[in-house]
Amino acid sequence: MASGGVPEATPAGPSPLRDWFASTTLHILGIALAAVSLGMLACALLEAATSRRDTLALGASALVAGAAGGLLWYLTRPSAIRKRDIFATVAWTWILTTVVGALPFMLAGTFAVPGAGFVEQVVNSVFESASGFSASGSTVLTDFESPGRGLMMYRQLTHWYGGMGVVVLAVAVLPFLGVGGLELITAEAPGTTSDRLTPRVSETARRLWMVYIGFTACATVAFFAADGFSSLYDAVAHAFTLAATGGFSVHADSIGHYDSVAVETVVIVFMVLGGTSFSLHWRAVTTGRVPYHRNSEFRSYLGVLAVASAVIVILVWLENGLPLGSAIRGAVFTVVSLGTSTGLSNATGSGSPGDYVTWVAGAQLVLLFLMVVGGCTGSTSGGIKVKRMQVLGLVMLRSVQHSQTPRAVIPIRLGRDTVSENVVSRVAGFFLLHFLLVIAGLLAVTALGGELETSLGSVVSALGNMGPALGEAGPTSNYAVAFSQPARLVLALLMIIGRLEILPILLAVVPYVYRAKDLTRVARR
Amino acid sequence: MGGLRRTRPLLPGSTERPPARVVSWALASIVDAGLVLGVATMLCGLAGIGDDNADAVAFTCVGAVLAALAAVARRRVAPPEQPGTGRVFAGIGFLWTALVLFGTVLYAGTGSLARLDDALVESAAGFTTTSLTLLDAAEVSRSVLLFRAATSWVGGLTAVWIGVVTLPVVLRSTALIGYTTGRRGLDLVPSASTGRRRVLILYSGFTAACVIAYLLTGLGVTEALVVGLGTVSTGGFTGRADSLAGYGGATQAVAGAGMFLAGAGIFVIWWIARGRLRPLWRSQELRTFVVLLVAATAAMALHRGIGWGEAGFMAVSAMSTTGFAVVDWTAWGTATTVILLVAAGIGSMMGSAGGGMRVMRVQLLMGSAGGELRRQLDPYAVVLVRRNDEALSQRTLDRLGGHQVAYVVLVGVGALLLGVSGVSLLGSVWGSVSAVTTFGPAVGEIGAFGLLDGVDRAERLALVPLMMGGRMSVPPVLAGVGLVMNWYKAAVRRGRFSVRLASRRLEALVESRSGDG
Repeated sequence: MASGGVPEATPAGPSPLRDWFASTTLHILGIALAAVSLGMLACALLEAATSRRDTLALGASALVAGAAGGLLWYLTRPSAIRKRDIFATVAWTWILTTVVGALPFMLAGTFAVPGAGFVEQVVNSVFESASGFSASGSTVLTDFESPGRGLMMYRQLTHWYGGMGVVVLAVAVLPFLGVGGLELITAEAPGTTSDRLTPRVSETARRLWMVYIGFTACATVAFFAADGFSSLYDAVAHAFTLAATGGFSVHADSIGHYDSVAVETVVIVFMVLGGTSFSLHWRAVTTGRVPYHRNSEFRSYLGVLAVASAVIVILVWLENGLPLGSAIRGAVFTVVSLGTSTGLSNATGSGSPGDYVTWVAGAQLVLLFLMVVGGCTGSTSGGIKVKRMQVLGLVMLRSVQHSQTPRAVIPIRLGRDTVSENVVSRVAGFFLLHFLLVIAGLLAVTALGGELETSLGSVVSALGNMGPALGEAGPTSNYAVAFSQPARLVLALLMIIGRLEILPILLAVVPYVYRAKDLTRVARR
Repeated sequence: MGGLRRTRPLLPGSTERPPARVVSWALASIVDAGLVLGVATMLCGLAGIGDDNADAVAFTCVGAVLAALAAVARRRVAPPEQPGTGRVFAGIGFLWTALVLFGTVLYAGTGSLARLDDALVESAAGFTTTSLTLLDAAEVSRSVLLFRAATSWVGGLTAVWIGVVTLPVVLRSTALIGYTTGRRGLDLVPSASTGRRRVLILYSGFTAACVIAYLLTGLGVTEALVVGLGTVSTGGFTGRADSLAGYGGATQAVAGAGMFLAGAGIFVIWWIARGRLRPLWRSQELRTFVVLLVAATAAMALHRGIGWGEAGFMAVSAMSTTGFAVVDWTAWGTATTVILLVAAGIGSMMGSAGGGMRVMRVQLLMGSAGGELRRQLDPYAVVLVRRNDEALSQRTLDRLGGHQVAYVVLVGVGALLLGVSGVSLLGSVWGSVSAVTTFGPAVGEIGAFGLLDGVDRAERLALVPLMMGGRMSVPPVLAGVGLVMNWYKAAVRRGRFSVRLASRRLEALVESRSGDG
């Protein structure tokens, strides 16, 4: 009641439907779908301006995704987040985004090759979408010429969304998630812990996206220049892949299409940077200093890439009989590509120097090892991550010391920091789960008809978000040739599991999670 | 051998001095194993009389000399009452190395295998109970054939001794998850000496029962002995190029049952011998072992339409890491071979002569992973991982994690070694897993029957450290690495060695050479 007895005017309230349902999961999903729909819309415009073949498919998909996302966003409001909700939110957001993200491929008939039924088209679309959003780069696309530029750019864009993560994007636009927001980022982001760049979580998410956008812009300019300013479309498309360490290309023979040392050099540099922690990039940009050499993980990361390159150059040079120059060019590019989980290839054709499936077994085993290791924590790359491998190596060395002095208390140190026992235990658990998933995936894929060598490489590749694998799924081949439809779906699931670093998916589906009664509530700030 | 020291006179003031005794865990173990090996070699020689007398005499003499030396040394060498962990592990490393070298010398000395590297590979395969061979029964004497089988038997016995007596009782530590430290172990191994004796009796009794069973199925004495020793020790050696494929169903059934018991381990045999069925039922590890076997069998049989008998035989062969085969299973299809690979990777139960990660360790690792998932939901949750109702400490679980990492690293390094030496990608991965788990046969160059004829020399040699590392169950390998690390640190501390010093010496050497030139 206002003074003077004048009745206070009732403000026009929002619609009764707005925020009527409290669910963080649906709210985040709504934002993610809305963001993806914007990408689809942009690509529809590009398509309309160029080939116009797939404009309708992209436009309709944008409409569906936008409507679904907008409705969810409008009708729901974020609520207090419990631990299980955090994992469920991340898992379901990714799974549903992947399914909705497959719509443009389905509607455009991208996989409607002769002999392919409806189910196969759906499976291929979902596989391509999962590969895109998880920044893997495995493909079932055989015809790179038919799809329009807009659709191909959308394919690249799925990488870009997935690289930094749709949930991080959602948190960036939600300023009030608080502690739960940090946990959401942690659940989605690759690594052992997430660096908090600022006190506010949403600000942290925003800065991560700013670095990401800046990185993409730099990669675009560099690629455009290295390619002789011939195609901005190619430059942007590959910049999306490089920032996300994805692996899709708009050409069937990937980077081998350019057959250019300059382009390959630029790609190598940006792949290495993409596999580096984005927190380090942020610090480098904001402080004006170069913090990389002080980071033990980064040093080890470069060391692994250098040693692997040297070993493979020697093996390929001596055993495969390649000229030294070709061996260096092929080996360094492939090592960096697989070591950063990018998956681009510089092979110019089957049997060319960059076609690593023709290399000796020792070289391929080194590549398999790189597929397992991946890049740095906090980067867009996949794999177990260098930091975790460092911790595991130190755990093994500690076992050596314990075998001599069983009662000694031996802390694990990385650089100047002591790694807490909680993190050590988490890393050991993660390694075990990764190992078990490789075995389970291998059993599933081989049971569905996969050839052993190809299946092994593909399962490791899918979990590490690499892209190309070994055997019939190599850099010059295709997953559609190598695997049956059910096997492709298993691999698609493994890609999502690998992108989310296993736990969110497991914790979202493990039944006892829902029965647990003593879950800790995360306070809403 | 850094652990040597001489004991003081036992009785103060006594004028009579007892014989000086060398106290060394490594030497005492080598002497014990040497005695058994000497007797076994002598018996192999004696059994060969009438077949190839030159071999028979050589084996008899060498065996007799070895047994006599070991018997004499046994009076002079004693194990320390409380040896250090590092020394025990180092001793285990020395023990296996000594056994393999002895076998190598004997094979090469008798001309059974002309080349030293072939002799080394055969000896390593024998003592590590890996089903790989270069020998052809048709071309070697009875003594050699029996000696090859005996090396597996001695290797299996040594592995059981180490697993059941040495690590848990001598070290008094639960670190290695030897479940002899639990209540059930106490009645089998009340003390080290009694434990060793009981294990020897049980192992020999099991061997005798196996050999008799094979004889009843119609096998000749030599064949029954060779296959029996290969079954009990999980060595998988038959002397035939087609393993057990040429034998009858009864023989294969006996082999299947024998492999199951050998993989189940000495505790199960002890409980059966004592007529105690309750521990059998209550053993979590045994239940898991059986469930895994049934699951593997069913998966293979249902997926590929393989006969249940063949599938079951290969499942138990892989899980016990014996390596017998009744069919060329590498042609069964990819999923089936992956099932067998996983089965061999999991391996047998604790206290058996088999290899692999061991069922108990895998169980605990799964429990640990489950606990980690639980902690993700509630970071403050206290999650206990239990082994037979006993909660394990975090330190034990950490060591288990370290062991797992080391095992995977060993397999990875092995695959790389094989890959570099020219084996195909698949053959490298399979071969490495198979050698480290002491299974033997593998998809690729080695094949279903574990024949090394078609494998290059470099590749064969690359298998030796893998078999040894796998047989020693990794900790002694880690201890060896630790000793090298300590030696390096000590050398650096004393200023005898450093990378800078080494590079300076190298430069000086190069300069002097160039000056000479």
